[in-house]
Amino acid sequence: MKWFEKLTRIDRRVIYVLLTAFVILPLFIPFKIPENVMPQTRRLFDFIESIPVRDKAVIISFDYSPSTQPECHPMAIALLRHCFKKRIPVIGISYEPQGPGLAVDALTLVSREMNIDAASRSDSVIYGEDYVYLGWKSGRVAAMLEMGESIARVYPVDYFQNPIDSLLLMRKVRNYKEIAIAIIVAAATYPDEWVMYPQARYGIKVAAGLTAVMAPEYYPFLQTGQFSGMLSGMKGAAEYEKLILEHGYTNKPGRAETGMNSQSIIHLLIIIFIVIGNVGYFFARRNKGLQR
Amino acid sequence: MKRTLPLAVCLIMGVLMIVQFFVPHPVSLQFNSTILNWVIVLSAFALVLAIGNLIVYHGNRIRRRQPGWIYSIVTLAGMTLMAGIGLVWGVDPDSLFQKIFLHVLTPLGATMFALLAYYMASAAYRSFRARSLEATLLLLAAFVVMIGFMPFGQYLGRWFPSFAEWIMLVPNMASKRGIQFGVAFGAIATALKIILGIERSWLGGKD
Amino acid sequence: MSPNPWIWIAAFLTLGIFSFLFKDNPVYRFSEHLFVGVANGYYIALYWHNTLRPNLVEPLAQGQFIYFVPLLLGLMYFAKFIPRISWLVRVPIGFMIGWGAGISIPANFQARILRQIEGTVVTPASFANPWQGIWAAVIFIGVVATVIYFYFSREHKGILKPVSRLGMIFIMIGFGASFGYTVMARVSLLIGRIQFLLGPWLGLIK
Repeated sequence: MKWFEKLTRIDRRVIYVLLTAFVILPLFIPFKIPENVMPQTRRLFDFIESIPVRDKAVIISFDYSPSTQPECHPMAIALLRHCFKKRIPVIGISYEPQGPGLAVDALTLVSREMNIDAASRSDSVIYGEDYVYLGWKSGRVAAMLEMGESIARVYPVDYFQNPIDSLLLMRKVRNYKEIAIAIIVAAATYPDEWVMYPQARYGIKVAAGLTAVMAPEYYPFLQTGQFSGMLSGMKGAAEYEKLILEHGYTNKPGRAETGMNSQSIIHLLIIIFIVIGNVGYFFARRNKGLQR
Repeated sequence: MKRTLPLAVCLIMGVLMIVQFFVPHPVSLQFNSTILNWVIVLSAFALVLAIGNLIVYHGNRIRRRQPGWIYSIVTLAGMTLMAGIGLVWGVDPDSLFQKIFLHVLTPLGATMFALLAYYMASAAYRSFRARSLEATLLLLAAFVVMIGFMPFGQYLGRWFPSFAEWIMLVPNMASKRGIQFGVAFGAIATALKIILGIERSWLGGKD
Repeated sequence: MSPNPWIWIAAFLTLGIFSFLFKDNPVYRFSEHLFVGVANGYYIALYWHNTLRPNLVEPLAQGQFIYFVPLLLGLMYFAKFIPRISWLVRVPIGFMIGWGAGISIPANFQARILRQIEGTVVTPASFANPWQGIWAAVIFIGVVATVIYFYFSREHKGILKPVSRLGMIFIMIGFGASFGYTVMARVSLLIGRIQFLLGPWLGLIK
């Protein structure tokens, strides 16, 4: 076998082993490369910064499943840390069926983290007053639209079966008029539906935290202003973690930021694989041409 | 009747919802609100079909002792156990239901998709070839984005991340918007065909 | 290493799925079938607690008898399993499809067509910043070229040929950008799993 043929026939197990090794290595040899923050991430951060304290609430829609947890969960946690620290009320919902488990995990983690550090009740994050989790609802477009008239009609009880009128926050927030923005952390086309239905009818501001696979499709919404910001994949999560760390909303580095080192190395590795494959291909093609 | 009634229901609902969008009268809004609440409930019943099919399929595999029928027992037992735990003991943050979600469902789902990283790397190496101008452009755009959006991209040149961002904001956005127009017009055309009964594949069956 | 048995269960299941990289095996098949079963059980509990009880059962119990209509329509889904009346399943399906089709038409026009046309059109105001104006013109050309590429009702001859080729170039750059992001996405999922195995399970990293 000629050398260029060998280049195109590397065993897939070699690729698997190299991939695994280069994911693991940077986790043990951490190096710090400053993250450059993309404009759409900063736009979302600035929007949340502009929301007055304890004024309108923010809806965070936890629409991702365990299969996209490494990208979306850090985003949700960073957003919660930002909103809780800024005393912006948060209403959590989900339309992805596997979203609630992860939503409860994120809300519990961040609220416990804040309450451990709280010096007094006013620093604490109280369920029912500072945040609620309403849970999942079927017929998501119908639910999104009906929330524009009355959230209580869609969610008569929250995820934990508390009647909605018993929650102080939900007595103040009746529909989208009291919502500053809806941030959809999603791994499916739910942000499309938020823009097409509630935003078109009620004018609610929408932003999205998306998996990297979906992000390129949503640049048109960013350009028209239909999105007030966008987080793209693990990089977007790492950028938001960096922003809230820099602005003092947390002192804990996020999971996404530590994963970016491995991400960088693997991108280089995949480029090298593709280049090797193409070098072998071109030489093989040239050899075939010469033989003719 | 077996086809006429469903087609009539589809036509009436479709036309009413289009008309409702343009009529701000309180009666129209109340009608819309009622229908939305019905849809929320009705959507939940669609699960019946999914679960029913699952039980029938795996039940048949067990009954007929088809190859791998033991695994069908695992599926049905897992489903029954999880449903029972959630229905009886609830879904609180500290519940058994939540623990099973976080430590059984989450690692299984996450790892299934983590396998894709390996397949993607292997497939990219094997089939990503710059055979033509278009394929070369695709490859180059991919390389620029992959390097430009990583933190070390800025060390190749301060302009590099901006160039990657330009690719996303200009040519990528233009092509995605063009595709989106096609999708939107296609969706409208399909919706109209469904409402008017021209597209009937959703009826299924022979009768 | 973690003393938490739940972490060990999660680690075992993670490695069980990863074992498929070598070859199909009983541990992988067990894990795969367990996933399907537990996911569906999860959905049953979720649908009951989050929708059927609060949005149907309790309103009916409170005397809101209008909810018998969605209940009746929902029960028609069960007709699928009774051959003699299986055609009844088409009624709720027709209701849902008609409703969905009806609301989607104005929504698509408003959000995906009119607003997007607004964002594409180049006006003198676009050239307030010269470079922004140039890129706005490039976007306009790219959108038109892409739409023409997908226009198959006419053969791509004459002026259509170079324009559709330009559209193809824009599309290829877009797909390349999408591939770049896809790599990021897939690798992120792998990093997440490795972080779990090395961190919470083995305790080798923080």
